[in-house]
Amino acid sequence: MSKANKNDNSRRNFLQKLGIAGASAVAGSALLLQGCNNSNKASGNKVKVLTADNKLVEVDVAHLQPGDKIKDLEYLQDRGREGIPGKKFVMVVDLAKCKNARKCMKACQSAHQLKPEMHHINVLEMDDPVRHTSYYMPKPCQHCDNPPCVSVCPVDATFKRQDGIVLIDNERCIGCRFCVAACPYSARSFNWTEPKDAEEFAEVTYDMELNVPQKKGTVTKCAFSADRLRVGKLPYCVSACPNGVYYFGDANEDLVTNGTTKKTVRLSALLDENAAYTLMPELGTKPSVYYLPPRQSKG
Amino acid sequence: MKNYKHYRLIILFCLCFLAVANVNAQSDWQLTAKENESLSPFLFDDDMILEGKISYENSCTSCHGMPGQADYTPMAPSPGDPASDQFQLQSDGALFHKIKTGRGTMPKFEDVFADDETWNLVAFIRSFNENYKQPVPDLGGIEIPEYSMKLAFDENIDKLVVKVFAKELPQSDVSVSAFVKGSFGKYLIGKAQTDELGIAYVDVDPTLPGDAEGKLDIMVKVTKGYGLAKMNANMIMAKPTVRKSAIEGRHIWSNDKNAPIWLKVSFFITIFGVWLVLFFIVIGLRGINKANKEEE
Repeated sequence: MSKANKNDNSRRNFLQKLGIAGASAVAGSALLLQGCNNSNKASGNKVKVLTADNKLVEVDVAHLQPGDKIKDLEYLQDRGREGIPGKKFVMVVDLAKCKNARKCMKACQSAHQLKPEMHHINVLEMDDPVRHTSYYMPKPCQHCDNPPCVSVCPVDATFKRQDGIVLIDNERCIGCRFCVAACPYSARSFNWTEPKDAEEFAEVTYDMELNVPQKKGTVTKCAFSADRLRVGKLPYCVSACPNGVYYFGDANEDLVTNGTTKKTVRLSALLDENAAYTLMPELGTKPSVYYLPPRQSKG
Repeated sequence: MKNYKHYRLIILFCLCFLAVANVNAQSDWQLTAKENESLSPFLFDDDMILEGKISYENSCTSCHGMPGQADYTPMAPSPGDPASDQFQLQSDGALFHKIKTGRGTMPKFEDVFADDETWNLVAFIRSFNENYKQPVPDLGGIEIPEYSMKLAFDENIDKLVVKVFAKELPQSDVSVSAFVKGSFGKYLIGKAQTDELGIAYVDVDPTLPGDAEGKLDIMVKVTKGYGLAKMNANMIMAKPTVRKSAIEGRHIWSNDKNAPIWLKVSFFITIFGVWLVLFFIVIGLRGINKANKEEE
């Protein structure tokens, strides 16, 4: 009896939903049609515009609509996968200059909608067993040229781009955390809870280059501020550093720019002259982040 | 108890002193006429503004905040926002000497910045004033020359050749600096002075990577006194380099999009082959079963 009732209910519900959907479809198409009619009214003011195939055409002002590409998810997704041609981004971290100001971490967390306990870049205090001192080491994602995280992702959510940046598409991420386990640098973190200011970002279109809005149940990590690189700006952490720790640039140009002093130097010379090293080279991950060793303390 | 009274008196005295000092500090900040009228020996340009910005961020932001945002520290006397009229209505010389000498809580920066660095700061502060036009001293009838230049690259000696003209006459003793325009900043290739023929040679490192043709985006700046000219060029002067994509070719982490067709085809043939064999066996077994039943 109760089972029959339930069935009946679900059928009724189904019919009701069908009705609502049908009504809204009719209403929606009516609205759309109306919109089309409105836009067909010419104002008489003509402007000349250049089309994508380089033709000059005259269009009525009333037919023009603001291009809102930046709010178009599909456009952002394609752009994020494509990357910036001809570039190979690298970072150089001068450990001798890091004084644990942690401005990089703050700038990063506010840009990427991260809670204080979540890090895309983390400044760690390292023990130097030889000199019996400690030094500070900022550790972002290493953007490996042979990324273990990308090989293990079962859904192609994390991927490497032509400009060397490893990104996450949280529209695809299923939250399996294989990549978190695979990363030897512990560069990835997981959104166990609703991210910071979730309501504020609810309406924002997802941009994988910024990885905002963050989504509960997905993995997040440093993106080398790919959104800033696109407009020719240095990453958030690099420009926030007050101590000149970070150099950032393009390995193809062999030039890196210091985020604090804005001085541009040759990458190869900087690495050679300062005995640069990468983290865990024995794993063959080929990181894009280089470290210059901390200065010998005379104490 | 007596001692306690003493302390109170001392504290009261100190407070009075501070109040007087404060009133003193708020009176006009007087400079001599000569100081007020002094002018920058350099023409403010983007490089000076950038240098000034770096110095400003390191030494001034803690009290004055970022210009234009009025986020200065609330102190008495107020440090003020350098983009405000309170600052912008002052002469260049006044700003320069006030930074240099300091007063009260404003530190003296004479020992911190060299004169040219202080002028960088003034240039930075002035960059927030759209109506500002840099006053230039009376040069006694001498005109500020308008420089033009011609660029060439001599690949035999790996030198950038810059010839500087003013009114079509070659100019000597002009400072020439050449930069490569990188993604995030300008890399200084070298500096040189023009000779009596108006030609300067700048050494170029032949190992600098260019694009596929060996072209580099460069910027050449020539200065002499208040005369200044800049020129951008895209010239063949470096090692041709092929810019490879970081995902080109096959890797252990490549996805199936990068897999070659022969691999995809052989993979699917193998899979279908295995299935075909399985079906063949199942159908055969069914046939045997049927035949068996018919016999019975």
